[in-house]
Amino acid sequence: MKETAIYVHIPFCDHKCIYCDFYSIITSDNISAYKEALLKEIEHYAELHSTDREIISIFFGGGTPSLMAPEYIAEILNSLKSKFSVLADAEITLETNPGTVDEQKLIDFKKAGINRISIGIQSFHKAELDFMTRIHDPETAIRTVENASKIGFDNISIDLIFNLPGQTKEMWRDNLKKAMALPITHISPYSLILENGTILNKMVLDGKVELQDKDYDADLYETTISFLAEHGFQQYEVSNFCKPGFESVHNNAYWHYKDYLSFGTSSHSFLNGVRWKNASSLKHYINLVEANNHAAISEEILTKEQMLEEYVMLAMRSNGLSTLSLTEKFGHEWLEINSEFINLLTENDLITHSGGRICFTPKGYAICDEILAKFQ
Amino acid sequence: MKNIRNFCIIAHIDHGKSTIADGLLSFTGAVSERDSKSQVLDDMDLERERGITIKSHAIQMKYTAHDNIEYTINLIDTPGHVDFSYEVSRSLAACEGAILIVDAAQGVEAQTISNLYLALDAGLEIIPVINKIDLPSAMIDVVRGQIIDLIGCDESDIILASAKTRVGIEDIMEAIVTLIPPPKGDPDGPLQALIFDSVFDAYRGAVAYIRVFNGTLREKEQIKFFAHDNEYQSEEVGILHLTKFRTKSLAAGNVGYMIGSIKDVHDTKVGDTITHVKNGAKERWPGYKEIKPMVYSGLYPTESDDYEDLRDALDKFSLNDSALQFVPETSAALGFGFRCGFLGMLHMEIVQERLEREFDQSIVTTLPNVEYIVYTKHGKKIIVDNPALMPDVGEIERIEEPFIKAQIVTPSEFVGSIMKLSMEKRGVYKNTSYLDPTRADLTFEFPLSEIIFDFYDKLKSISRGYASFDYEYMGYKEAELVKLEIMLNSEKVDALSVIVHKSKAYDWGRKVCTKLKDLIPRQMFEIAIQAGIGNKVISRTNIKAMRKNVTAKCYGGDITRKRKLLEKQKEGKKRMKSVGNVEIPQEAFLAVLQLED
Repeated sequence: MKETAIYVHIPFCDHKCIYCDFYSIITSDNISAYKEALLKEIEHYAELHSTDREIISIFFGGGTPSLMAPEYIAEILNSLKSKFSVLADAEITLETNPGTVDEQKLIDFKKAGINRISIGIQSFHKAELDFMTRIHDPETAIRTVENASKIGFDNISIDLIFNLPGQTKEMWRDNLKKAMALPITHISPYSLILENGTILNKMVLDGKVELQDKDYDADLYETTISFLAEHGFQQYEVSNFCKPGFESVHNNAYWHYKDYLSFGTSSHSFLNGVRWKNASSLKHYINLVEANNHAAISEEILTKEQMLEEYVMLAMRSNGLSTLSLTEKFGHEWLEINSEFINLLTENDLITHSGGRICFTPKGYAICDEILAKFQ
Repeated sequence: MKNIRNFCIIAHIDHGKSTIADGLLSFTGAVSERDSKSQVLDDMDLERERGITIKSHAIQMKYTAHDNIEYTINLIDTPGHVDFSYEVSRSLAACEGAILIVDAAQGVEAQTISNLYLALDAGLEIIPVINKIDLPSAMIDVVRGQIIDLIGCDESDIILASAKTRVGIEDIMEAIVTLIPPPKGDPDGPLQALIFDSVFDAYRGAVAYIRVFNGTLREKEQIKFFAHDNEYQSEEVGILHLTKFRTKSLAAGNVGYMIGSIKDVHDTKVGDTITHVKNGAKERWPGYKEIKPMVYSGLYPTESDDYEDLRDALDKFSLNDSALQFVPETSAALGFGFRCGFLGMLHMEIVQERLEREFDQSIVTTLPNVEYIVYTKHGKKIIVDNPALMPDVGEIERIEEPFIKAQIVTPSEFVGSIMKLSMEKRGVYKNTSYLDPTRADLTFEFPLSEIIFDFYDKLKSISRGYASFDYEYMGYKEAELVKLEIMLNSEKVDALSVIVHKSKAYDWGRKVCTKLKDLIPRQMFEIAIQAGIGNKVISRTNIKAMRKNVTAKCYGGDITRKRKLLEKQKEGKKRMKSVGNVEIPQEAFLAVLQLED
């Protein structure tokens, strides 16, 4: 049985945040037509790929999946469970925004089968939330986490964003402290990314907002890593930390180069070395599924070299490269041609290389794009 | 033979050499107005763009003069730049007379003077012409005075002309016929044909442009040269109209071309003499010199994989340019490349530009340098054309560098700033003479190394474009020179080494360090940049290690994008050169070519 993860994209949002470049739409038209299309797409791929696969994780991402009625999520989930062999203890995550769920809704999601909640808090400071045009306030954010815990979610993750314009080191530390006071098991602190096509990007281009420099970003990142370590959160990827035993199964599926099957607009699937992408536009997606039962618009068959490249990159970005697994999959060559560079990195405290595993140090994680580009 | 005239035109750049030539050619019907693409003689794109003639050619015209005799007149074009002064001298040697053109608005310039001296050395009859007399800014009387002072002619000897309005063209033709002596020589004597130029034709091999001084060259004859032992057969002989015109023979006094299955221009060296294998001449026509490069620079492919391509391109290039010299060299910083020798800076620029344009090569060039003579403490004499190969300080007894004698003609108001610039360039002032009350002719001696770099541009800028400059080589003199090395994390970057005068080393070192600090991006490790002489560090700075460069998110949909980005970054890194663990962008090597205050 091949371990496989499933992703379901829910593109609907209450509004668009300034830093977001995800495909999302803010009208509520087509919500039910979208579900019908999803169900049809699930049926299509189940016929093709359900045999010999066990589903280890299902992830509802967005957009704002928590905007949907619990029955909506339940119907999709039930369809998946009936058509795929979903493991009894599969991780089933719902991305949630504070302010979109009250206690009852959380109870209903749990009933629907969700067992992990990922909450997009981003900040505990009102000014920062306002800047990011998030709809919630700090109190709602805290209450959402507490409610989720109270009604029985024992695996709760939150997202935070650092290096916001004007964010002081004290403000960021304060965000981390507030997070630590909550009953969470997992945290994803992201350094602000300036994506093309976002409102924030335009603000920066227009000179209305000034980003902080890379060294400042590095300081905040260092603080993050050491602060979280002191509070029992181990780093298992560039931007992901968890209490022992709470690594996200779904994230690890991506990073440990497992197969994943995705449904919905602009989602990417990766099965048997082939990656494909669905149409981004909601209408286009619905039309394609109606016509063909699927909405894939581009496909990429990875070469051995490309797979090696991705494998190394993903492993290094997460909890390290197992030299044994690497060799089994791709042979000895990579390690041989990079051995001198690996030694250099070790000497300079950018990686550790022991027990058959090559891992970034905190200093290495911080410049991992530079280092990855230097591997042969 | 008495009805043949061979002449050339000498002028400062832009004084109208090509337009006068066009005027003469269309006047005599050698080129119809319709054919005339304006400036017929400059046939390379690059020449046209730069408004200069790089390679000389020749063209023949027929002219029935006022005495009712039809004359055969050969115009031999000359390269207009000091880099090609030897080739100029060979073109002049093929003539009996020269038209000296001076722009009515500009007056006598440095190159007017230096070319005139070459023509006088060659014993040519000089016909002075003031061109562009139709310009509103023409100052005919002033320029006439300058010319009279310069060559000691009579006022009435000077022809007033305008190539644009065709004024004076007929006067020039009459002067050519009446003033320039016919060639001398014996058509039945042993063959002596001077090669004044040669070009490479992809189908025919080398084409030699020749002036026959003695004897007659016919097709299907066994011929030989003086510069080498190879023998060939003359396959095609002819004269030059707009295109080649086959005549099967060329007799003493005439100018034309010869083709003989010669694979490249290295066997048809400019200045060499062609003679017959049987009953050939005993001696070559005087004046031949082996061409010697004056400026050297390393040429490296941007991507090291392209080394073989660059070699092919240089091979092909040198088929047509016997002056370009190149030998393979290796640089720790730049990989495999070539040390190339050029006649001068213009020649170097032309070669680089044509390699990029016509041969599609992407190249990195090192700072140009001259050739030094190093005397070691053990009494050895070493020729150094690459700073990286300079012996250690401890071994050096003394160093000599080439000097030039420079002539700068300038409106007198700029004399002060030119003096200052010349001092900065280690110039030694020799004397001043005034061409007229407002124009000074200054003579200096400079180390060649100081003027190959940015001297000409600076001279032009401080004189608002009015000063002109020309030079001739003098020979070697001792100088207090040091090898300044640049180190990145204590590793020498050989391609950035320079040989500079001791008094300038500190300043140079500081500027290079600062520039590198700006151009080298932050990397995984801290980078120490040092400039040093021997073991002594004279300037230092450092680039802090990169602290943050990581994509925060990489989930399912991001992976392809992230991999493509990584592939692109790796491509980018491939183009970087590296020394030790420091990646150096190409711009860093080019930047030392543009060091400013």
